[in-house]
Amino acid sequence: MKILENLTKINRRYIFLMVAVAVIVPLIIPMNLPTIPGKYTIKLYDFIDKIPPQSQPVVIAADYSPSMMPELQPMLESIIRHCFAKKVRVIVLTLDPNGAALSEAALKKIAPEYDAVYGRDYAFLGFKPGSSIVMMSIGENIRQAFPADFYGKSLDSLPMMANVRNYADIPIVVSIAGSAITQSWIAYAGTRYHANVGSGCTAVSTADYYPFLQSGQLVGLLNGMKGASEYEYLNQKNGYSKAPRVAGKGMDAVSIVHLLLMAFIIIGNVGYLVARHNQSKKQGA
Amino acid sequence: MIFSTNPWVWVAAILTLCIFSFLYKENPFYRFAEHLFVGISAGYGVAVYWNNAIVPNLFVPLFQQHNWWFIIPGLLGMMFFFRFNQKTGWLILIPMAVLLGTGSGMSLAPTIQTNILKQMQSALADATNLKLGGWGLIWGIVTLFGVITTLSYFFFSREQKGLLRVSANIGVWFIMIGFGASFGNTVMGRISLLIGRVQFLLTDWIHIIK
Repeated sequence: MKILENLTKINRRYIFLMVAVAVIVPLIIPMNLPTIPGKYTIKLYDFIDKIPPQSQPVVIAADYSPSMMPELQPMLESIIRHCFAKKVRVIVLTLDPNGAALSEAALKKIAPEYDAVYGRDYAFLGFKPGSSIVMMSIGENIRQAFPADFYGKSLDSLPMMANVRNYADIPIVVSIAGSAITQSWIAYAGTRYHANVGSGCTAVSTADYYPFLQSGQLVGLLNGMKGASEYEYLNQKNGYSKAPRVAGKGMDAVSIVHLLLMAFIIIGNVGYLVARHNQSKKQGA
Repeated sequence: MIFSTNPWVWVAAILTLCIFSFLYKENPFYRFAEHLFVGISAGYGVAVYWNNAIVPNLFVPLFQQHNWWFIIPGLLGMMFFFRFNQKTGWLILIPMAVLLGTGSGMSLAPTIQTNILKQMQSALADATNLKLGGWGLIWGIVTLFGVITTLSYFFFSREQKGLLRVSANIGVWFIMIGFGASFGNTVMGRISLLIGRVQFLLTDWIHIIK
């Protein structure tokens, strides 16, 4: 009993050290824990999988900054790989000032793997401020919001944009974000212009988006690193990607740290109850 | 262990370690990295907004296309700077009013439709749709029950006693379950960020993992 009570007073630095070990060891010695794709990951994956090749483009809004990279960059890369492997055209844009560099890096890295050609298979529109106004402008004509791409080329000069005018020509908008901007995509693109919206979000904000899944306002949802890992797994299982699973490797560490934290929570609470019991006994005596 | 030869990887790795040093205790290395981050973020933000907002949305229409209507939003935008002067500070109310008015006007209808009407519609539909059958129907009823009891917790126009109190107490349980789900996901999110940094250190900096 005394041990449990003392454990609640442990120096927090030992806890940090244990968490660090629990993260580093599984990364160096992978445990290859099984990945079981969730229902909402499969829904988003299947939706994109059914888009006919060389037809209307998917819009991916990479609305995040480097602080969210570990969770969201693998999602962006997995969805781009899936689209390129299926010859589905991709338009990448961002409404976060930090998102342009991240999404451009992903496109430049992945396009050569699939011989994707700029302007024919994908387009990069870069960053535009004024999130909700941009979303509504795309509903009227994408050229209003983005007269030119990130490199200054007119959208009309890109062959893949020939028949793309507004959301009616876009099978799905996938919002990859760590903020509430996905809610704006649902409100403006989804509700107002009846576009299909999918989401990839940080684990912190996942709980906010479950109601939109239940109501059918979101096609599917990737939940943080777990969702990214599941998408990577589906890509590899179906032969769409041979790239190393960045999020998949991280999930071993996530699982071990979760077990560790559960143990801390149980020890902390039991220790608290024991301390409270001892205190009430002392007061009674 | 082979260290990276890329100087920028070294800069990123050292700054990462500076930030992690806070876990031991507050120190000058942490403060240096923190201030550097704040300064660079602000500078980067200004440059990006200048090139992506001010130049294409104000300078080009005004000075290249000679579309003089753009003087009005330009002046409204500049009115925000009156905030720095005590005497003229009140003038900021004008652009604020325009901003709030247009913002509310644009977002009111889609927000009500998205967050209230569609959600209510879905909660009722799932609880009454017999075609869902089995677990689908049961979860639909549980969801509707959760919505009603949670709303009753936030009903303050009457004293919470009798049936209202019972309902509110059940609502608290649903709220707690929601908080638990959020907290669990928050833990996963924060750990993922740590994993991202450790992956960078082990992969790009010291090349222990491929």
